Amino acid sequence: MHAILSINGISKAYGSIQALKNVSLEIPKGSVFGILGPNGSGKTTLMSIVLDILKADSGSYSWFNQPNHPTVRKRIGTLLETPNFYHYLSAVDNLNITNAISGRGSAAAIDEVLEIVKLTERKKSKFSAYSLGMKQRLAIGAALLGNPEILLLDEPTNGLDPVGIAEIRELIIRLAQKGITIIIASHLLDEIEKICSHVAILKRGNLLTTGTVDEVLSNEDIIELSAANLSGLKKCIQEMGGFSSIKELENRIQVFYPIGTANMEALNQHCFNKGITLNLLLHKKKSLETKFFELTND
Amino acid sequence: MTALLKIEWLKIKKYPAFWWMLGIVTLTYPGINLMFFNVYDNITKGKEMANNIAKMLLGNPFAFPETFHTVAYFSSFFVLLPAILVIMLITNEYQYRTHRQNIIDGWSRYQFIGSKLIDVAIISSIVTLVFISVAIGFGIYADELSWNRWAEQLQYIPLFFLQTFAQLSIAFLLGYLVKKAFIALGIFLFYYLIIENILVGFLKLKQIPIGRFLPFEMSDGILVAPAFVGKFGDKAKEGYELALTLVYQQVIGTIILTALIWFICFKVHQKRNLA
Repeated sequence: MHAILSINGISKAYGSIQALKNVSLEIPKGSVFGILGPNGSGKTTLMSIVLDILKADSGSYSWFNQPNHPTVRKRIGTLLETPNFYHYLSAVDNLNITNAISGRGSAAAIDEVLEIVKLTERKKSKFSAYSLGMKQRLAIGAALLGNPEILLLDEPTNGLDPVGIAEIRELIIRLAQKGITIIIASHLLDEIEKICSHVAILKRGNLLTTGTVDEVLSNEDIIELSAANLSGLKKCIQEMGGFSSIKELENRIQVFYPIGTANMEALNQHCFNKGITLNLLLHKKKSLETKFFELTND
Repeated sequence: MTALLKIEWLKIKKYPAFWWMLGIVTLTYPGINLMFFNVYDNITKGKEMANNIAKMLLGNPFAFPETFHTVAYFSSFFVLLPAILVIMLITNEYQYRTHRQNIIDGWSRYQFIGSKLIDVAIISSIVTLVFISVAIGFGIYADELSWNRWAEQLQYIPLFFLQTFAQLSIAFLLGYLVKKAFIALGIFLFYYLIIENILVGFLKLKQIPIGRFLPFEMSDGILVAPAFVGKFGDKAKEGYELALTLVYQQVIGTIILTALIWFICFKVHQKRNLA
């Protein structure tokens, strides 16, 4: 899978604040790529640089392995930070401008995206009369206009109600299935975990990790066990060895093994031989949220 | 170019302030000229000796071909109105953050400033069209015996356009750099109405001959006062004739200043973070 966006050593400072420090990553074609990070980690700065809104102090980027040119952005449907539209114009008039600048879509396509984002009934209302959620939906509609090859969405679920959030999630999954590359920045880790194939985690301008979701989450095997005799179980596991750490929880224990070394069958057998009957044996996947906090907490 | 024009029209055509400006300009330009025409009419219409002398002295500044000169001069007092619109059009882009969105959607930074250059050109053209209509209207009404001289002073049409475009470009530069509508308008009005006039007066008092190179004075010098102003004594005549000889320099200076303004805008926008 070749990269649709390559970022090479990008740095950016705002005065004394270093917003990005030598960030390099590649976004594969057809991926749903989540960019995560706490507030101020540099997610929006990074997105703004690759859209030519901000100028990097150093480093470079290229879309589609081509030299940077404004026409490249016409192939990208973008929602960056806030919905940016002319307040005195209606949804249709605003999308006409998006269409005229980007060359994506047509009058029929405008109606189609307004239908997708459920704004058909209000399509002639002025943007200034929209609620926050409606403005956000219009921005998503503008990004979708004319079936772009890439969608770049910065906090796309801002201002949406739970139904709206679920709809956007379903929409992203549907679009990803069609092969559209989707780059998404969000605080909603649960949402990201549900829809992303790849992630990058930023903290204070540093890229902490990047890769497929499975690669990022699975740097160790976690086995969760429980038995009536919890202290006996712990002793039994310790006798067996091979683990990197053990964590005792309220009514179960978690055993951490180096990646690929946990053998659930052998564990079960060992405990049984020692007279301990397990009532829980689970290969647990670390949640993105857990991983995120692990990486971003000082 | 055509694509940029089309997109700017999409932005402007439903912008209420644009139509308000157009309406006000359409009323104001005939209004101010009508006021001066009435003064002229009152002075010259009687049969007294004084009326005849005034008529002889003033000629008919609203008849062809002088109408283009006279109407251009009086109309140019109201560049403030389109200037407000120009400032609104650029500061709106910042307020709505569409200056970022236009780039995100696929414009280059040059295209964005190019589109604003087109806005200023469109507004200057519309204002010039209103001026031409008013000048022709007065020319037809004022004296039918001079209709055949309608084409003698058409040079005031491009001169009026150049002056309007130059002064609106200054307004644009302010809006572009300041970003906030009310602050930019405040600075524009304060400089245009007060600061530059004080500076001109001060430089004249100190006999330092650089007042005509100040930003607005530079283009004001393109449209000198109507010809009758030079008929009130030797000093007035001398001043008027000097102003006429300087028009050429003022035109060159205005073109250079305006080109510099747009060069600055293009260059700054190329390097600026679009925050």
